[in-house]
Amino acid sequence: MNLFTYSRAATASDAVQLAADPNSKFLGGGTNLVDLMRETLERPEVLVDVTTLSSSIEELNSGGLLIGAAARNTAVAENRIVRAQYPVLARAILAGASAQIRNMATVGGNILQRTRCTYFYDDDGARCNKRSPGQGCDAREGFNRYHAILGASSSCVATHPSDMCVALAALDATVHLRSAGGERKVSFVDIHRLPEEHPERETNLHPGELVTAVELPPVAFAKNSTYRKVRDRASFAFALVSVAAALDVEDGVVRDVRLALGGVAHKPWRARKAEAALRGQPAQETTFRAAAEAELADARPLQHNGFKVELAVRTIAAVLAELSEAQA
Amino acid sequence: MLADGERILSCLALAVQYQDRSITTIEGLSEDGRLHPLQQAFIEHDGFQCGYCTPGQICSAIGMAAEVRRGVPSHVTGDLAGAAIQLTHDELRERMSGNLCRCGAYNGIVEAITEVFVEVAR
Repeated sequence: MNLFTYSRAATASDAVQLAADPNSKFLGGGTNLVDLMRETLERPEVLVDVTTLSSSIEELNSGGLLIGAAARNTAVAENRIVRAQYPVLARAILAGASAQIRNMATVGGNILQRTRCTYFYDDDGARCNKRSPGQGCDAREGFNRYHAILGASSSCVATHPSDMCVALAALDATVHLRSAGGERKVSFVDIHRLPEEHPERETNLHPGELVTAVELPPVAFAKNSTYRKVRDRASFAFALVSVAAALDVEDGVVRDVRLALGGVAHKPWRARKAEAALRGQPAQETTFRAAAEAELADARPLQHNGFKVELAVRTIAAVLAELSEAQA
Repeated sequence: MLADGERILSCLALAVQYQDRSITTIEGLSEDGRLHPLQQAFIEHDGFQCGYCTPGQICSAIGMAAEVRRGVPSHVTGDLAGAAIQLTHDELRERMSGNLCRCGAYNGIVEAITEVFVEVAR
C-alpha cells in the first residue's frame, strides 16, 4: 500500500507551502494523477488539492482573458467569451476526453497531464526512459502508430496527449506560476520540453512550482479560428493528428496566422515554419499545402506512423482552407 | 455518478476530494419506490443487455440533459455562439460517447434517452 497525506490548499501561497516536500504533488481533478497513482507510476506522499484555488475566467483591461488554473475544462469551453473570441480553445477542449472527464479536469491539470504512451504505462513488461531514466525505450521499435514524428529523440518518442494545450500554443498564451520564491510568467510554448536525453523532465517548471492561471492575449483574428482532430474513432479518443489554427485574410492575402499541431510531438507543436511560409502569401490551396509541407519537412516517422506526415499536411491545408472560406 | 448534479467518473474520483458534496448514484434516482422515468425507458427500449454499463449510462444521461439545458456546446455543435442547444441524434451520440456499452445496446439507449429528454422537450 502507498500511504499519502491529503490536504486542501486555501490559497496559492498555502498550496506552495504545503507542497514543500519533494514527494508532494498538486492534485486537480485527478483524471490523470489518480489513474497514475493506481498504476503505481506516481507514488506521491503528499497530495495538495488545488481545486479550491482560483477558477475564475475574467476579461483583462488589456483585452485578454485570465483563466484560473482550477477552472474545469467544461467551464472554459462553455464560457461565452471563449466561444466568441477564442473558438479554437472551446473546440479543442470539446474534442478531448468525454463530458464526465471534462467536468472533472482542471486547466492546470490538463497542462501537466502525462503521456498515454502504452510503454510508459506498462511497467511490468516494457522499458521506458520516462518512467525509469536510462532504461531504454521500447516504443521506438515497438507499436508506434500513436507516437511522435517531430522533435523526438533516441530516448523517447512519446506524444503530449492534450487537445486544449494545442490551442493554447497557437494562441500565444502565458502561464502564471507561483513557488516559494515568488511568481513568474512563462510563455505557454516554453512550458513543455522536447525529450532530448531527459524525457523524464517534461516541463520547465521548477520543483514545487504551481500553475495558478493561464492568460490569453488579445488576438482579434482568433475569432476566425478552429480546431480539427483526426482520430481512430469519432469521439473519446486521443488524436492521431490535430490542428489548431487562427487565420486573418485580407484581399486574398494571408495577413496573419497562428498554427499548432497535436499528436505529433512530445509537446504541443507550434508550427512557426508554416506560419512564416503563409504570411503575406495568397490565401489559396497551393500556399496552404506548401506551408504545411515546410513544417513537416523535418518529420522523422517511425515504422508505424509514417501516415501522420501526409495526414498532418492535409489536415493543416484543410483547416486553413476552411478558415479562409469562413472569412471570405 | 452525479456530484452536485454534475456527471463525473467515480473510477477517477479520489473520494476524499468529494467530502461534503452531494453524491447521487443509480440507487438514488428512484422516488417512493418508483423508478426514474429514464430507468423505466431503459427497460421499455431494451437499453441494455448485461446491465454492467447501465447505472453509468443513466446517471450520465441525466447529467447530460442538465448540460444541454445550460447551453454547454459539444464537439458536434455547429455554431458555438448559438443560444440554445438542440439535442439532435448526432448531439446525443457525441455527448454520450464517454459511456461505452460492450453489448452494443446503443440503439435502445439512444431511444430511451430520446423519449425522456428530447420528446418531453418538444
